[in-house]
Amino acid sequence: MSQPLEPIIKIENAHKRFHTLRGTVHALNGVSLNIKPGEVVVIVGPSGSGKSTLLRCINRLETLDGGSITVDGILLKGARNINKVRAEVGMVFQQFNLFPDRTALGNIVLAQRVVRKRKKAEAMARANELLAKVGIPEKADSYPAQLSGGQQQRVAIARALAMNPKIMLFDEPTSALDPEMIKEVLDVMLTLAREGMTMVVVSHEMGFARAAADRAVFMDGGVIIEEDAPDVLFSNPSHERTKLFLSKIL
Amino acid sequence: MDERTRTEQSQPIHLPPPDESGDGLTPPGPYERIINWLAGLPWWALILGVVAVAVLYSMLTSEAYRRVIQSLTDNPQSSTEDLYNVVQIVGEPTMIVGRYAGETQDSVTTVVDELLDTVIGTSQVTRTGFLLAEDPASITLRTDGGLVTIPKDRIVDEQREMVGGNEQITLTYIERVTVSGTLTKRTDKTMTIRTVNEAAQTFAVSRVLSRTVIPCTQVNAPGCEEGEYVTIERQGEIVTGTLNTLSNTNLSLSLPDGNTREIRRSDIDRFDVPTLTVALNARSAARSIVPDDEVRIAFVLDTDIMKALDELETLDDVPVPLRYADGQSRVVLIGYGTLDEALAATGAGEADALLYLDDGPDRRYVETWVEDNPRAGVALPTPPRECQKGCKVTVKLNDDVLTGRIEWETDDEIRLVTTEAQYIDLDRSKIVENRRMEPGACALNNLRGCNAGIFLTLRVTFQAYGLALLIGLFFGLLRVQTNPVLYAVSTLYVEVVRGIPLLVILLYAGFVVSPQIRDTFGVNLSDEQEAVLGLAFGYGAFIAEIFRAGIQSISRGQMEAARSLGMSYPQGMRFVVLPQAVRVVLPPLGNDFIAMLKDSALISVLALPDLLQLGRLYVSRTFRAFEGYNTVAILYLLMTLFLSMVVRIIERRTRLPH
Ligand SMILES: Nc1ncnc2c1ncn2[C@@H]1O[C@H](COP(=O)(O)OP(=O)(O)OP(=O)(O)O)[C@@H](O)[C@H]1O
Ligand SMILES: [Mg+2]
Repeated sequence: MSQPLEPIIKIENAHKRFHTLRGTVHALNGVSLNIKPGEVVVIVGPSGSGKSTLLRCINRLETLDGGSITVDGILLKGARNINKVRAEVGMVFQQFNLFPDRTALGNIVLAQRVVRKRKKAEAMARANELLAKVGIPEKADSYPAQLSGGQQQRVAIARALAMNPKIMLFDEPTSALDPEMIKEVLDVMLTLAREGMTMVVVSHEMGFARAAADRAVFMDGGVIIEEDAPDVLFSNPSHERTKLFLSKIL
Repeated sequence: MDERTRTEQSQPIHLPPPDESGDGLTPPGPYERIINWLAGLPWWALILGVVAVAVLYSMLTSEAYRRVIQSLTDNPQSSTEDLYNVVQIVGEPTMIVGRYAGETQDSVTTVVDELLDTVIGTSQVTRTGFLLAEDPASITLRTDGGLVTIPKDRIVDEQREMVGGNEQITLTYIERVTVSGTLTKRTDKTMTIRTVNEAAQTFAVSRVLSRTVIPCTQVNAPGCEEGEYVTIERQGEIVTGTLNTLSNTNLSLSLPDGNTREIRRSDIDRFDVPTLTVALNARSAARSIVPDDEVRIAFVLDTDIMKALDELETLDDVPVPLRYADGQSRVVLIGYGTLDEALAATGAGEADALLYLDDGPDRRYVETWVEDNPRAGVALPTPPRECQKGCKVTVKLNDDVLTGRIEWETDDEIRLVTTEAQYIDLDRSKIVENRRMEPGACALNNLRGCNAGIFLTLRVTFQAYGLALLIGLFFGLLRVQTNPVLYAVSTLYVEVVRGIPLLVILLYAGFVVSPQIRDTFGVNLSDEQEAVLGLAFGYGAFIAEIFRAGIQSISRGQMEAARSLGMSYPQGMRFVVLPQAVRVVLPPLGNDFIAMLKDSALISVLALPDLLQLGRLYVSRTFRAFEGYNTVAILYLLMTLFLSMVVRIIERRTRLPH
């Protein structure tokens, strides 16, 4: 597992607070994590433990209140062109967040044209290639509402991949799916992992974690409780809280 | 995974084509579908529909309604030549004349004269300098300001003088030409401008006193037919009507068709108006009358003496013997067969006075008679009094002579063109400046000229709505910002404007903002622009709220997805959120458009002749409130129904597939 490379994501003592009417929520309470290029990291943890917040901070959809995150050598805080960083980091959401007024193809083409400034033909070619890769080339002209959940999530993955990102973030990509569709999405993610994509995946799919992940991280209460190889963490956790959590979900 | 994909591909879903569904039924045609649809409606809807159709039909076929509709729609003609009234400045005057007559001074002058005839103005420049070069087409001078080369055909005046052995020349030449007139045709390359309007008269053949044919050889008109050009001596027109005013210079009368006509007295050959003449026996004028004395009044038998007596009472200063003729003394009326007899009798003392009321050619006969017979013993204490107002009057205008081309002639009427229209073709590339362009008459091929009624309502509504969309979008976008200043500014606008009646906003725009803009920036806003601004500003607040709701109805995940793909906030708005929001807001925006069309009726407070204002004018002119306001209401209704249909179609067409 150990690679002699610099980490592509470096999280140091990250703090994030949300101020709500009911008081302040400490969503991240000093998280440090390094991820090397090509590494696949799975994050597990109970609801509200700050997993999504961590991913969103890596993409700077949220800004940190303390600590720092460096992505591909660029310190996110105060980064000049955050959109450039974002284009290098693809994100897949639990709720897919496809653009409902565009076809599958249109969804994949849009950002290529707007952000990457690709020619229309080039963007279309790339989109078709990716649709084939995620296994739904025939759905190019379908609108999101005409697709099943699994197909939508695969379009969302293709959309993120179209930007040629160096890192992919997945926030519970399968938890809004019916069981029979989960596999088709996980298959795509597995292929991606085998191809050497750097991936941070929030997921409770143990099978996927065992097969694809280099490392598993358990978070609770805004901090990382422990991290280890997936096999070790899942079958032989060292912390009580991890044991308790795993006993609930297994 | 690959296997799965293949399975999906190898099993395309085969739907049977709809027509061959096996039971032999063909889909119903449009006629059956309409019948089926009608049959499905409740009975009262059918009755209402029939009534509505009947009302519309009777409205559209009734003369009264036809008139209202015409006045509400600015009376468009079906087509017109007059697209614009224009003033154009043309850089190269030679392009207008297009010919250079020669080299001598005379021929140059001829061309220029012709030029000056056909154009309205020229800007001339005078330069003095020493002759440097001269060729048949141009003269080059060395002046204070450097070398100038002037085409000879533009030279208006030329003076040569020897100064110290050199020839000094002062030239006046045409720099630019101003052409004004009516734009009648416009193509990519040329503009046709009518510089002289046709003048023509249509009159009764019976008025022609004599006709002289001008031979074609004397007429400079290609395609002239012998007998087409004539000089007509014409009897003055006879106009009959009711006298409105009678002054020393003018006479105004109401014609039987309701129009009024002003006629200059110098154009009048003769006019007949009831005239009352009071003549006295010279001795009776001085007679002292005691009560019960007898006053004898002479009159001509076939004139209306009772009317004359009535008229007498309206006189300011009734002469003495007659002053007592109203009951204090006995009045004896003596009728004579002719006016001459009556005058002679009055002179002889058979009568004290003569009353003569006539509207014929003899109405002033007494005046001349007294002048001609100074010793007859008849006196005229006051000049004959012409009716000043309200009487029937017949005017005969002076005879005149017309020269021109007969355009057509029937048994009754003749149309003579006295001035031919003149046109100039301008090369558009030579036009330096459009000074002024005002749309010509309202016509179906020139809707720009339609400035009132339904056209104004529609134009103001469309312009105001376009502007309101921009304002609304702008403030709507500010309303969803997290920046507290932007949010506060936009909220302030929305809350304030929504809380003020639109009528008040319009009055503000017209009477507060517009004068302020004029004073501060020197920009004069037209009434129409004020109305557009007022409506747009007032509606912008509602539209901003619609946009805000629309944007907020799009889930936050959309913007996050856009941003996670590397788009900036504006890009995410522009490419992801707004296109979805627009779909959401289309129905409420359509409703607002219809509401604005209705509210545009308020602009009549800015003295704009919109649909409602014209309706009100029509009603106040004709007292036909029922027809007037009915038509206004129906026209608004037709427009809003049509628009809501359009909105519904757009809504359906932009709906996403499920
Ligand atoms: N925008 C927000 N405003 C206020 N509180 C927030 C916001 N986002 C997250 N939180 C709070 O921060 C905490 C961590 O949330 P987060 O979404 O990261 O949890 P999670 O581990 O992803 O949970 P889950 O498994 O349910 O997705 C939670 O208590 C949540 O209520
Ligand atoms: Mg989460």
